[in-house]
Amino acid sequence: MPACRRTPFSAFIPASLAPALGRCGALLLLGLWAAAAGAADIRLGVLAWLGSEEAEVQWKPLVQELERRLPGHRIQLRQYDLDELSRALQGGEVEFVVTNPGHYVTLEAEHGISRIATQVSAPSQDPAHVVGSAVVVLERRRDLRRLEDLRGATLAAVAEDAFGGYQLIWAELLRHGLDPEQGQPRPLFTGFPMPRVVEAVLRGEADAGVLRACLLERLEREGTVPPGRLRVLSPRADVGHCGVTSALYPGWAFAAARGTDPALSRAVLLALLSLPPDEGGQTWSVPADYHPVHELFRELKIGPYAFLRETGWDALWHRYWPWAAGLALLLLGGGLYTLRVEHLVQRRTRELSSALAERHRLEATLRSGQEQMDHLSRLSILGELAGTLAHELNQPLAAIGNYARSLLRRQQAGNLTPEALQQAAAEIASESERAAGILGGIRAFARKRSRVRQPCDLAQLVRESADLLRGIQAKAPAIALEDALPPGGRQVLADPLQLQQVLLNLFKNAWDAQEAVGSDAPIAVSLSAGEGRCRVAVRDHGGGLSPELQQRLFEPFFTTKPDGLGLGLSICKTIIEAHGGELAAAAPADGPGLVLHFSLPLAADGESTPP
Amino acid sequence: MNTTATPPVIHVVDDEAPFRRSLLFLLESVGWQAVGHESAEAFLAAAPAFPAGGGCLVLDIRMPRVSGLELQRRLKAGDPAANPFPIIFMTGHGDVELAVQAMKEGAVDFLQKPFKDQQFLDTVERAVQLSLERHAASRRHQEARECLERLSAREREVARLLALGQANKEVARALGISENTVHVHRQHVMEKTGTGSAAELARLILRADPAGLD
Repeated sequence: MPACRRTPFSAFIPASLAPALGRCGALLLLGLWAAAAGAADIRLGVLAWLGSEEAEVQWKPLVQELERRLPGHRIQLRQYDLDELSRALQGGEVEFVVTNPGHYVTLEAEHGISRIATQVSAPSQDPAHVVGSAVVVLERRRDLRRLEDLRGATLAAVAEDAFGGYQLIWAELLRHGLDPEQGQPRPLFTGFPMPRVVEAVLRGEADAGVLRACLLERLEREGTVPPGRLRVLSPRADVGHCGVTSALYPGWAFAAARGTDPALSRAVLLALLSLPPDEGGQTWSVPADYHPVHELFRELKIGPYAFLRETGWDALWHRYWPWAAGLALLLLGGGLYTLRVEHLVQRRTRELSSALAERHRLEATLRSGQEQMDHLSRLSILGELAGTLAHELNQPLAAIGNYARSLLRRQQAGNLTPEALQQAAAEIASESERAAGILGGIRAFARKRSRVRQPCDLAQLVRESADLLRGIQAKAPAIALEDALPPGGRQVLADPLQLQQVLLNLFKNAWDAQEAVGSDAPIAVSLSAGEGRCRVAVRDHGGGLSPELQQRLFEPFFTTKPDGLGLGLSICKTIIEAHGGELAAAAPADGPGLVLHFSLPLAADGESTPP
Repeated sequence: MNTTATPPVIHVVDDEAPFRRSLLFLLESVGWQAVGHESAEAFLAAAPAFPAGGGCLVLDIRMPRVSGLELQRRLKAGDPAANPFPIIFMTGHGDVELAVQAMKEGAVDFLQKPFKDQQFLDTVERAVQLSLERHAASRRHQEARECLERLSAREREVARLLALGQANKEVARALGISENTVHVHRQHVMEKTGTGSAAELARLILRADPAGLD
């Protein structure tokens, strides 16, 4: 396998070429892994940045907890370094990966993996600001106070492609006018695990070292490093718990490989979100926005943006001219070397053109970024819902708390009247019902609720929903029902509660749209039958939507209301799809407004609830 | 001038009805008089009928249509005397930027939901104290102005020069009248304003108009 060997050449090969070179190794391993993985096994690839023993200790609790929460599945923990993890994805050896944010962004572009959760170190923490790096120096080095002081120094780090271990500080240095690629400071790569960097600094082989945030504090606690020997260079004032030199980036990502079954992803996501914090206080949260990591990579021109370095033949020439000059010399040297040189030129040309092809591929990948985002937002909706759920539950819980504490205050002050007690108790009861309702709604969306299908009369459902709307909101406009269903085919097999939820949502949207333009026309609902299906259309006389907005209407978190969550219609769509229908929007045939319509298969006569 | 007896009123504006009612219940538990409003518009519609007196405004920063910040802006743009209420904002998770903006616009405090009842009551207490102080100051200002308005134009001129520390003789020269006339005016000024010295007169004029002696 001579093409796989790392020749001195590889140092000059663009980073984007690396996966292509790694492919041959992956092919070899593919057969082995496929045989090893059992049917119900979930293979979880983790980046072992502290060495394999540490990784075992670090991820063991997560694996055990996931196994406990996913009965019938066995989790195989597989440890990889950066390149190995990429090859494992290439070979389809893992369903899920856990890796650092930088590596995640690279793998997302190269292998189409999608994050389902982000690691945070406290449940309340913002998942977008978790990972940082610290530059450590010997305490006695008075000459090193700021990042600028590293000019001409030697900087130890684990590897050039380590995110928290190097790239964050690299970017920080660039922002301070230093460029390690120009030898300011000189990078010294020690390899993993990270404590090697500490050794290099303690032994004086390097003036400074790059560590993941909080590692120094941890090593000091464990006694590996005597406290006070090392200090963090120019620690940021806005980060409290550990010394951090760089800006903070999103936490580690838990991501699903491209081919992983969405149902499995959902199950794992639910398990992750319900995990209690581990000993280090680490837990999982809704997926963060990794856009800042993209920005960082763009700045550094690495990862998915490595092609920015190769801006054309000029740049290639600029990079490779010493080689070309060498070749020219060899040619001049004449006869004996001619064949050898010819061979080299051919090889180089091949590599350059494959590098260009790879670059085009990556550009195409980035162009399709929007598509990926769409896919992602659907996959992570449950995670997002968990956040929404917390927010929604806060209001009733806060109200309940206020009533309860007020009762205590009145009781203690001796002025608690029976009327006040009754009022508070009634409010507490209704708020706790509301909280339970919110939980119930979310659970229904998570499809944990057992499937209900019973024959329902659609016209009756519409009337009930209309009554419900007026029951909740006295000012609601009238709902005009136009019922064109034949006497024989009026029923659909459905979950009446879920259909009511959909109808209520559509009515409420229609009302909001009309209120926005000050129209008090009745909301028109029409029922019609055809081809064994029943069509329901809800039409409002509001401002209407452009065709583009109509397209986006059903995306999660799309909303045209200033205070809207943008979840209603995406939930409705899911419900209707689960009933074998499709929810769509259209402009009305006459006048302004919007029509939302769906159709459901009519129930055959005598059909009843399946057990 | 019979506003001293009016008890302070806490106005709570939040579109979330159960939460708003729970805050009113809490405020009433410790003896405050509290009124709820379901929207900024409802508050603005009810505002002209509020009796003059102390109080404060507890405002949800995020509301449909007219937000809390917008209401704050509208109140500021209107007659400041018409709405002397200090504003406390309630913000949700992640609304820090909005809260900073609200503080810059003159809010006295903000509470991040969920908040402790004691914290809420303390904040309200501080805001009401502030409003009472503001109210008292504005009443003193009003009284001083009414007092000075009882003077004739010439008496006001004399009063101003006296307050600036000028002797009768200097005042007479400045106004081109006899020292005797100045003396009579001085008597009238002191009687009508109830002041006993030039220094007291100066304080009164400054209370009515901080730029009155420039």
